[in-house]
Amino acid sequence: MHCSLLALRWCGIFAIVTSVDAGPAARADVPPSSPSHSFDRDVRPILSDNCFGCHGPDGGSRQAGLRLDLRAAAIAELESGSWAVVPGLIAESALIGRVESDDPDLVMPPPEAKIGRLSAEQVETLKRWIAEGATYEPHWTFVPPARPDAADGAAAVDRAVAEKLAQRGLALQPEADRRTLIRRASFDITGLPPTPAEVEAFVADPSPEAYDSLLDRLLASPRYGERMAADWMDLARYSDSYGFQQDRPRPDMWPWRDWVIRSFNENLPWDQFTLWQVAGDLLPGATDEQVLATAFNRLHQQENEGGSIEEEYRIAYVNDRTTTFGTAFLGLTLECCRCHDHKFDPLSQKDFYALSAFFDDIDEAGLYSFFTESVPTPNIRLLDGPATAALARADEAADEAAAEAARADAVARAAVADWIAGRAAVPAAFDAVGGTIPGELVRHDFDDRRADGTFADELGSTAAATAPEENMLVGDSRGGSPCRAIRLTGDHPVTTSVGNVRRSQPFTVAAWIKPATRHDRAVVFHRSRAWTDAGSRGYELLVDGGHLRWSLIHFWPGDAVSVRCAEPLPVGDWTHVAVSSDGSGRAAGLKIFVNGHDAATDVVRDSLTREITGGGGDTITIGERFRDHGFKHGLVDDFRVFGRALSPLEVQDLCAPGAIAAALAEKRDVEALGDYFAAAFADEPAAKRAALEAARRSRDDLAERPPEIMVMRELPQPKTAYVLERGDYDKRGEPLEPDTPAALPPFPADQPRNRLGLARWLIDPEHPLLARVTVNRVWQSLFGIGLVQSPEDLGSQSARPEYPEVLDLLAWRFAHGTADGGIAWDMKRLMKTIMRSSTYRQRSMADAKTMADDPLNVWLARGPRHRLPAEMIRDGALAATGLLVEKVGGPPVKTYDMPDSFKPEKPDTAAGLYRRSLYTFWRRTGPAPVLESFDVPTRMVCVARRDTTNTPLHALVLLNGPQFVEAGRVLAERLLVEHDGRAEPALDRAFELLTSRPPDDEEKRIIRRMHAGQLDWYRDRPDEAAKFLTVGETQPQAAISAVEVAAAAGVVNALMNYDGAVVKR
Amino acid sequence: MNRRDWLNSFGMGFGGLAVAEMLGRSAAAEQAAAAGAGGVLGGFHHPPKAKRVISLFQSGGPSQLDLYDPKPLLGRRDGEQLPDSVRGGQRLTGMSGNQSSIPLAASPYAFTQHGDSGAWLSELLPHTAKVADHLCFIRTMHTESINHGPGVTFMQSGGQIPGRPSIGAWLDYGLGNAHDDLPSFVVLITKNKGGQPLMSHLWGAGFLPTKHQAVRFRSGADPVLNVNNPPGVSMENRRRLLDGLRELHEHEFAAMPDAEITSRIANYEMAFRMQASVPEVTDFSDEPQGVLDMYGPAARDPGTFAANCLLARRLAERGVRFIQLFHQDWDHHGGLKQGITREAKETDQPAAALVQDLAQRGMLDDTLVVWGGEFGRTNYCQGLYRPGQDFGRDHHPRCFTIWMAGGGVKPGTTYGETCDYGYNIVKDGVHVHDFHATMLHLLGIDHERLTYKFQGRRYRLTDVHGTVVKGILA
Repeated sequence: MHCSLLALRWCGIFAIVTSVDAGPAARADVPPSSPSHSFDRDVRPILSDNCFGCHGPDGGSRQAGLRLDLRAAAIAELESGSWAVVPGLIAESALIGRVESDDPDLVMPPPEAKIGRLSAEQVETLKRWIAEGATYEPHWTFVPPARPDAADGAAAVDRAVAEKLAQRGLALQPEADRRTLIRRASFDITGLPPTPAEVEAFVADPSPEAYDSLLDRLLASPRYGERMAADWMDLARYSDSYGFQQDRPRPDMWPWRDWVIRSFNENLPWDQFTLWQVAGDLLPGATDEQVLATAFNRLHQQENEGGSIEEEYRIAYVNDRTTTFGTAFLGLTLECCRCHDHKFDPLSQKDFYALSAFFDDIDEAGLYSFFTESVPTPNIRLLDGPATAALARADEAADEAAAEAARADAVARAAVADWIAGRAAVPAAFDAVGGTIPGELVRHDFDDRRADGTFADELGSTAAATAPEENMLVGDSRGGSPCRAIRLTGDHPVTTSVGNVRRSQPFTVAAWIKPATRHDRAVVFHRSRAWTDAGSRGYELLVDGGHLRWSLIHFWPGDAVSVRCAEPLPVGDWTHVAVSSDGSGRAAGLKIFVNGHDAATDVVRDSLTREITGGGGDTITIGERFRDHGFKHGLVDDFRVFGRALSPLEVQDLCAPGAIAAALAEKRDVEALGDYFAAAFADEPAAKRAALEAARRSRDDLAERPPEIMVMRELPQPKTAYVLERGDYDKRGEPLEPDTPAALPPFPADQPRNRLGLARWLIDPEHPLLARVTVNRVWQSLFGIGLVQSPEDLGSQSARPEYPEVLDLLAWRFAHGTADGGIAWDMKRLMKTIMRSSTYRQRSMADAKTMADDPLNVWLARGPRHRLPAEMIRDGALAATGLLVEKVGGPPVKTYDMPDSFKPEKPDTAAGLYRRSLYTFWRRTGPAPVLESFDVPTRMVCVARRDTTNTPLHALVLLNGPQFVEAGRVLAERLLVEHDGRAEPALDRAFELLTSRPPDDEEKRIIRRMHAGQLDWYRDRPDEAAKFLTVGETQPQAAISAVEVAAAAGVVNALMNYDGAVVKR
Repeated sequence: MNRRDWLNSFGMGFGGLAVAEMLGRSAAAEQAAAAGAGGVLGGFHHPPKAKRVISLFQSGGPSQLDLYDPKPLLGRRDGEQLPDSVRGGQRLTGMSGNQSSIPLAASPYAFTQHGDSGAWLSELLPHTAKVADHLCFIRTMHTESINHGPGVTFMQSGGQIPGRPSIGAWLDYGLGNAHDDLPSFVVLITKNKGGQPLMSHLWGAGFLPTKHQAVRFRSGADPVLNVNNPPGVSMENRRRLLDGLRELHEHEFAAMPDAEITSRIANYEMAFRMQASVPEVTDFSDEPQGVLDMYGPAARDPGTFAANCLLARRLAERGVRFIQLFHQDWDHHGGLKQGITREAKETDQPAAALVQDLAQRGMLDDTLVVWGGEFGRTNYCQGLYRPGQDFGRDHHPRCFTIWMAGGGVKPGTTYGETCDYGYNIVKDGVHVHDFHATMLHLLGIDHERLTYKFQGRRYRLTDVHGTVVKGILA
C-alpha cells in the first residue's frame, strides 16, 4: 500500500511539472527528452548554491516573486512581465541574461550577496539545461532507491566503482596485505587491534574463506557492540551530564548506552533499533527495554540556570528532539526551518513544527532542579528482579494495611451509628473529649506580633512564626466581626517551624485567606525550597488561574499529585481553606475544603512515585517563594496545622466553631459523627492507621532506591503544537496537527498520529531516506568519509556523490533483505557486505598523482586510510599493552586525564583507569581532555561526523600523557620479563603488538639505535630512570632494573606515536 | 640561554634535509601568515588596523550604572518604582520578574570626569581613569539574552545556543596561524573565581574543524595539556627519541609517500618547539620590576587576572592573534557593593596597565583591547530594597557599557547614549552582531564574507545581521 502511495505522490509532482505549460514555454522548440544534463546532478546544485537563498522554497525571503526550485514557478511570467526560464529558448530566458550581465545592478547573484559570480562552466550548464527543455526532477534522495539486479552486494559495489575508475583511467588497487587487512578489519569491527596470534593465524590461513571467517569472528565479538555504540552515542548526544551552563552530572543514563551495545551485539534489526528509540514506549505491551530505548529522545542538554524561562527551554528540548530525529534518521537539516521556510530544501517552517508536534507530548519541565537531585520527568525506575519483587510485596502490604484500616473505620462508624440509634452506649472516647480536634501541631492567629517580631504558637509551644515587618498586622472584619490578620507583600515570607512531612504522613493545613486580586499564579503557602529551581519538591497551595490548587510534588509536573478547585477563589473576601492529604500519595487522597465544605476538584496530576521531602525549605512558608509569585497583598489569619487528615466535621468546626458540639448535641448526622469518631478518637482505627503509615513508609523507602532514567511517556491528552514565529517560544502562530514533511512520503493513513505512527512511517522499506542515511554513515565509519560527504544532510545542499548507485544498491538491500534469504535491516550483514568488497580491501596508497588529485578518497581509487578515532587510539594502546580491562557496560569511569578537564574530576583507581574509552565519564562542558584533543565532539547536539585533525597537541598527549606513559612502561616491563631481559626481541615484539606487523630490518636498526641511546642515557642517570617508572598506578616490577625498563619504555612510548600505531591503513 | 640558543643546542640531533626545512620557518611563510594568507580567506578583505585582539571578558554582567554610565536621576528617585513606561514590556528574568515591587536603586558610587576626553568613571576605577584618553566607551551595547549561559555564548559566538564557532576560532579559520610554535587562539581564565560557570564551548570551534578551537593555558605547572615531559624525561632525551621516531617516519615515507606522514613529522617537531615556547612565554622572570609593579602585586601570582593580563601582552608580542581572558563573578544579584568593589579592585589596575604597557611598547596601535561582559544590570533593585544597605541588581540586556582601546578604535571617545533612567538606549545602539562586525572590520575582514558552509547553509559570526559601527573607528 505504502509503495503505491509513494508512487502516486511522485507521479503527482511530475504531473504538475508537465501540465503547467503556459506563456512562451509553449513555443519551446526542443523536446525535453533524454537531456544530456541531469537537473538533479548538474543544475540543481548551481541553483541551490547561488539562487535559492532569494528564489527558493522560503516564501519569506523571496525576491521579485521568482521561485526557481519548482518548474511551474520558474517558467511562469514574472511580476516584471518577463520570464526567468523559457524552456528551449536561451535568449528569452532572463535567468541567463542576469547571470551573464556585467551591470552591477542587474547581475545575479547580486554583488551584495557576496557569493561571487557563476563560473562560465556553470552558465554553460544552465544554458544547455534550458535549451534541452529545462526539465526538473525531484532530488534523488527523495525518491526511493530502485531494486538493484545484483545478487552479490559486494561485487555490485566493486563493479560500480571499477567502472567509474576506468573512466578516469584508474583501477582498484590490489588487495592490501593480510596484516594490514586484519588490522583494518579488526579496528573497524571491534575498535581494537588484532593480537599477533590472530594476525599470524590469518596470514597462515590459505583458505579462500579466511577473510569471510575473519569478518564473521569479529562480528560475533562483544567488542563489536562497543565499537558501534561509540558512533551512535555521538548521534544520540549521549552524555553523563545535563549540559548548558551548570552542566551538572546525571549519573544514571548509562543503562541506555548498555542497551545500545546489547542491541548491536544481538544484531537487533535496524528498523526495530530505530523504532524502539523513537517510540518504544508506545508499542503495545512495551517492555522495560523498549521504554528504556526512548531515552534517546531525552539525551539532549537541559538547563537549570536560575531565572531561565521554563517554556523557552522546554521548546528548545522539543526542537532538539526534532532536529536530532532529522539528522540521525532522515539525514536532513531541519534547524533552519525553526525560524523560516528552508531556503534550499522543500521543507517549510510548518513542516518543522508539525514534525516537532510528535515530540511534544510528554510531561516534562523546561528546567531541571537546582536544589534537588530529582530526575526530570518522565522517567522509569530501573529495577532488577529482586527489587521488583520487593516493591511488589511492599505495595501489597500497604494495600492490605489500607484495607484493614478501612475495616477498623467501618467498625468505629458502626459503633457511632449504634449509639445514635440507641442500640449501644456512647463510645468511651466521645464521652471524655468529644468536641475537641486532636493532633494540632501549631496555630498562629496573627493577632499580636511579639517584641522580637515573631508570632507565638497559640497552642503554647515554643514554635514561633517569623516575618519581616513589611508583612504588617492589619485590622479587618470577617463575617461582620473585627479581626486582625497578617498582610503579605508577596516578596516577604512568613516562616513557620513545622511541616516537614513525608508523602505517607496524613496532615491538614487550614487558614482564613483573603486575596486582594485575582491571581494568575500566587503561592498561598508551601513547603519547598523553590519553584522551578527545586522542581517544586514538597507541597504547595497555590492560586492558579484564580482557582485554588493543592499539590504534593516530587518533581513538577511529571511526578506529583495535584487537585484544583472547580470553582474560582472569591476575590476581596474572606474564605476559609483547609487542605489535607491522607498519606496515600494519590490525587484521591487530597482534599480542599472551602468554607468548611469538601470542594469539588479536578485532578491535575496523579503520578507521584517518590518522596516529597528534601531539597531544603523544610518548614511551611506563607505568602512567598524563591523566584515565584507571592500572595501579594493577600491577608492570612488563623493558620493551623494538624498531623492528621481531619474529618469533614472537624474542618467545619475550624470554619464555624461549635459545629462539632452542635452535631454531638443533635446527634443527627450519623455519617459526619462516624467519620469524626473514626478519624479522631477510636483506638483501633488509630492503630491501623499507624500500621498503614508504617507500611507506606517502608514501600516509599524502597521506591527511593532504584535509579531513574529519563524516557518518553505520552500524556493522556496530547499538547497542542503551534508554529512559532521566528522560532520564538512565546510567539505562537497557527495550531498544528502532528505530520511528516510534505516533500516526504505521506503519513500512513492506518497509523496513529503519534511517535509510533511516525516510527512506522520511517521504517517502511520504501522510505527514501532511512536506509540511505544509515548506509552512508556506516560507509563513513569504514572509509573515513561517506558516499555522501555530509552524513547530516542528504538534502539538496549536499554534494552530489561520486557513487549514488553504490549508496542506493546497499540501501535497497539493507531495507529489503536479499534474494538469497538475507533478512532486512541486518546491520552485521551490511558491515560484512561492504567489508567483503574489493573496494574496501584494496591497498590504501595509490600513485602520487591520484593521492594528490583526490586527497579525500572520493573516487575510491584506494582503500581507507585515516587517523584512528580517539577511542581506538587509547583503547588500542591499552589493548596492545595488556592493560585493557574488558567488561561490557556499567557506570561511567574516570580516566587519568580527568583532573585536567575543564570540569576537573578525581580519576578512578584500578580497573576504572583501563576500561574502553566509550565508558569514560562524559561531561559536555569538559569531556576527557585526551579524547577531546583527538576530536571527539562535545555532544551538545547530535553529530553525524567527526573531524580528523592532526595537531601538535596530539603529540604532547601521546608522548607525555600518563595513560600512555604508563602503558608504554608496563608493556616494556612485561616484554622484558617474557624475553628474559633481552631488549631487542622485546622491542620487536612491542612494535608488532602496536602495529600488527614485525619491524623490517631498517626499522629494527632504528629501534636498536633508539634503545641504545636510551640505555646510555639512563645508565648515567639511574635516578631519572626510577622517576620515569613512577608514572601511573601500576607498580613497577622489582625484578628488572629501573634503567633497563626506562630505556625500553622510552622506546615503546615513541613507538606508540608511530604512524603505524595510530593510523588505520 | 634564550629559546633560540636552547633549541639550537639540540640542533645537532636533527637529521635529514626535509626536517631542517620544516624547522626553519621561511621568511616567505611568515610573511604569508602575517598577511592573513594562512587561512581560508587567503588574505585580508581590506588592510587591517588591528593585528591581534586581547579580550578582557568580564563574565556575569558588570553593572554599567556603578562603573561607567552615571545616572543622577536614580539618585533623586532612589526607592521609587520603575515606571512601566520606562520598562515598556521588557521581559525580565525569572529572578526578579515575579517580584511584587521593583524599586529604582541609585549608584552608591561617585562619578567624576577624567583625561582630556572628560570620560565619566566611578570611583571604583581609579587606574582606568588614568588611561581614559586611550579608551572608547560604548554605552549602548545591547543583547538578546537575559541569562548568563546564552548571554555569554552570544557574545563569544554570535549565537545563544552552544554550537557555533567562537570569535577566535573564526579568526583562526579565516586567517590561519601566523606562528608555528604557539597557537593563534589562547584562552586565559582567572583562577579561583566563583560566580557563573564558564563552558568550554565559549572558546570552541563549534562546527568548524576542532583544530580552530582555543588552547587554554592553565596557571599550573602544565600550562598546556601534557606540555611537560613526564618525570625522568629531559628535553635532551626527548629529542633523541623524537629523532628515532622521525627516522621511522622517514623510512615509512620512502616506501609510502603519503603527505599524512610528513605532516605527522612536522607536528612532532612543532610539539617539541611548543614544549620550549610555552614555558618560555609563561615565565615572567625577564620582566622588569617596573612592568610587574604596573600590573600590581597579583601579577606575580600565576592565574590571577593581573598575571593573565601580563601573559596576554607576552602572547601578543609573540604573535598570538586572539587572546581571550575570562574573569568571573560580576553577577551581583545581591551584595553588589561588596562584590563590585572586589571585582573592580582585581581588574582595574591590570586592565589599565595592559593598555599602558601596550602603548609604551608601540603595540596599542595594532592591538585591539576590549573590556566588557555579556549584559548590564538593572537600574532597579532585585529582591528587598532598604536604602543605604547593600543591595542587588538583576540582568539587563537593553543597554550596557564596554570599552575598546587601540587597534583602529577612536581613542578618548564615549559612544552612544542611554536614557536618564539608564534603562533604554536613546542614541546609537550597538548590538552584539554590530560589535562583532566591527571587530572583524578592524581585523581586515568583511564579516559578511567570512563564511562556513555547514548543514546546508553558509554560517558567519554575525549570522545574517551586523553593521560596522563607523562612529568608533579612528
